[in-house]
Amino acid sequence: MYIQVNGQSTFIATGGKTFDTSLPTVVLLHGSGLDHRCWALQARWFAFHGYSVFAPDLPGHSLSQGEPLTSIEDMGAWLVAALDAAGVEQVHLMGHSQGFLMALEAAPLLGSRVESVMALATAAAIPVNPALIDTAKADTSKAADMMLQWGFGSDYQYGLSSVPGMQPIGIGQRIMTNNPLATDLEACNNYSGGAARASSLTCPVQVVLADQDRMTPMREGLKLAQTLGVKAQIINGSGHMLPMEAPQQSLQAMQSFIQTLK
Amino acid sequence: MSRSSYLGDDTIALHSGYQPESDHGSRAVPVYQTTSYVFDSVDDASALFNVERGGHIYSRITNPTVAVLEQRLAALEGGSGAICTASGMSALFVTFFSLCSAGDHIVSAAQIYGSTVTLLKHTLKRFGIDCTFVPINDPVAVANAIQDNTKLVFCESIGNPGLEVSDLPMIADIAHQHGVPLVVDATFATPYLCKPIQYGADVVVHSVTKWIGGHGVAVGGVVIDGGNFDWLASGRFPTLTEPYAPFHGMNFWEEFGPSALAMRIRCESMRDIGAAMSPHNAFLLLQGIETLNLRMQQHIDNAKKLIAWLQEQDAVAWVNHPDLPHNPSQSAAAQLFPKGAGSMLSFGVKGGREAGAAFIDALQLSSNLANVGDSRTLVLHPGSTTHSRLNEAELLAAGISGDMIRVSVGIESFKDIKADFGNGLRAAAKMADKLAQQA
Repeated sequence: MYIQVNGQSTFIATGGKTFDTSLPTVVLLHGSGLDHRCWALQARWFAFHGYSVFAPDLPGHSLSQGEPLTSIEDMGAWLVAALDAAGVEQVHLMGHSQGFLMALEAAPLLGSRVESVMALATAAAIPVNPALIDTAKADTSKAADMMLQWGFGSDYQYGLSSVPGMQPIGIGQRIMTNNPLATDLEACNNYSGGAARASSLTCPVQVVLADQDRMTPMREGLKLAQTLGVKAQIINGSGHMLPMEAPQQSLQAMQSFIQTLK
Repeated sequence: MSRSSYLGDDTIALHSGYQPESDHGSRAVPVYQTTSYVFDSVDDASALFNVERGGHIYSRITNPTVAVLEQRLAALEGGSGAICTASGMSALFVTFFSLCSAGDHIVSAAQIYGSTVTLLKHTLKRFGIDCTFVPINDPVAVANAIQDNTKLVFCESIGNPGLEVSDLPMIADIAHQHGVPLVVDATFATPYLCKPIQYGADVVVHSVTKWIGGHGVAVGGVVIDGGNFDWLASGRFPTLTEPYAPFHGMNFWEEFGPSALAMRIRCESMRDIGAAMSPHNAFLLLQGIETLNLRMQQHIDNAKKLIAWLQEQDAVAWVNHPDLPHNPSQSAAAQLFPKGAGSMLSFGVKGGREAGAAFIDALQLSSNLANVGDSRTLVLHPGSTTHSRLNEAELLAAGISGDMIRVSVGIESFKDIKADFGNGLRAAAKMADKLAQQA
């Protein structure tokens, strides 16, 4: 569905069903340079199992208009505005990589509206190699290639796919190449408030990590889990692009966490 | 550049899409010769049917062995996904069927495979889809042929059998300026020689029966979604950008973006039309693809030698190959096919059709049959076989003359191909002399 957020047309993926504010809402937040399609399968499962799905494309990404946001803090505030625009009250925030940082910034603004937070393949801080940012500024496609080569785990480098016939690296490459990757990476690199925000979360939280993650190494994710006081769930054989690489395993982790809350 | 793998092409051909499976550790891709797959639970079945998870339901729609081939071909071409089909013609049909509806229109190159002409000119017309055939390297003709209801521009990267090379960057630019995708049949090239997506193509189709399989043992086709075309911005593709009722209103573009077309073909065409590739064929084709790059180089080397030799023979009236300087598309061939513009060539023998028939009948090593891209050298007279349904004007438009002999150069030892063609040319010369005496 398309909604107006701060005067801009914004696309919100709803998992193939009409958005219904009366249902519990799962908010799926994409990572740097990506869009809602990294959650394609998980979104459909939640939408057809009693939840409303709210998976936005950030401003200037894929189907959403507007200038890209330059800081994680701005992204957090924008998410609150988007939820308000859609009339959403209570939310389960689930963020991949940069999407989790965004959730951390949105959480204090949302206060008691946050039912839970889940972190997938991420950490409290995501420093980015300046060379990658510079490359993204000069040539988004080249930077996307660098990220995808680094970001997908070994099986996916060998062309495996959870969806028969598809090439997730190719899909990711097309999405990233057309999105403001450099702005996103710079926002991640400049963000330093994650640990403090994480330690102040009071809602139920969960951390899901990938053992082959080289973008946000697992040791950093484990530190985040320690800060949050939870035992991280590790998905073996997957890299940083967890929602695309291991949609079924990541969905199972998301399902079991959210169902535990009931 | 559009990529979907960071492995080298030789490695992709051997490994992409498969890692030794956990049950038995089979190094080669196993044949999953099965129709159906057990669901873990009712919920699991429901999730598979509703595209909430990936996996296999029924081999008309997906099969694990076929999926390896699909993923390998998508990786080789740099696409976002691929769907294998029962044949190259069914790959073309499901592509046109997925993008066009009654009342729509296609712009196609005139110099294309005869059965594709029939599909576009006669079969699709019965479903209300019209086609305009144009000289594809004429930018004005292409642009003028595009109408408000045009859904795609179609060409072959190397035309069959006229061997005209399509100027893909130019054609793609024109198509994109009008908001329509470029669909390329790249059968004669294979990704070893040219990857059309890198030159602006949006969809690539192959008859994998030919060089990709390479051994003449399995029929199959593939559609590769390039993943770069913005179906929504075009405004012409309700099949991809509007809700699809049979899947609870699924919007393929919104939900799958770069793989929207591949997903539509999977969800609709494979289910409703059912032109599925058999698992055993996929297995055989995978054996072929493992050596694609090695074979293609030998095909090219032999073709170059045969072209040079034929040009020196008195009995030969003319030789055509896109790499030859007199070929009108030689400059496009040099740009798009730096390794060589394929191993198809055509030539005419002095004495016309009868001498040509004498040439073919005298061959022993080379086979007279209606296929191309076998490892073995193949010859054919198109005017009386593959293109026999075309009238004179259509034959001319397709670049076919009565004396044309089409050769698919194999990977045998070149000295043996040369000896075989030498025998054929001697027979042709005798026939030409006889005809001259009768005249």
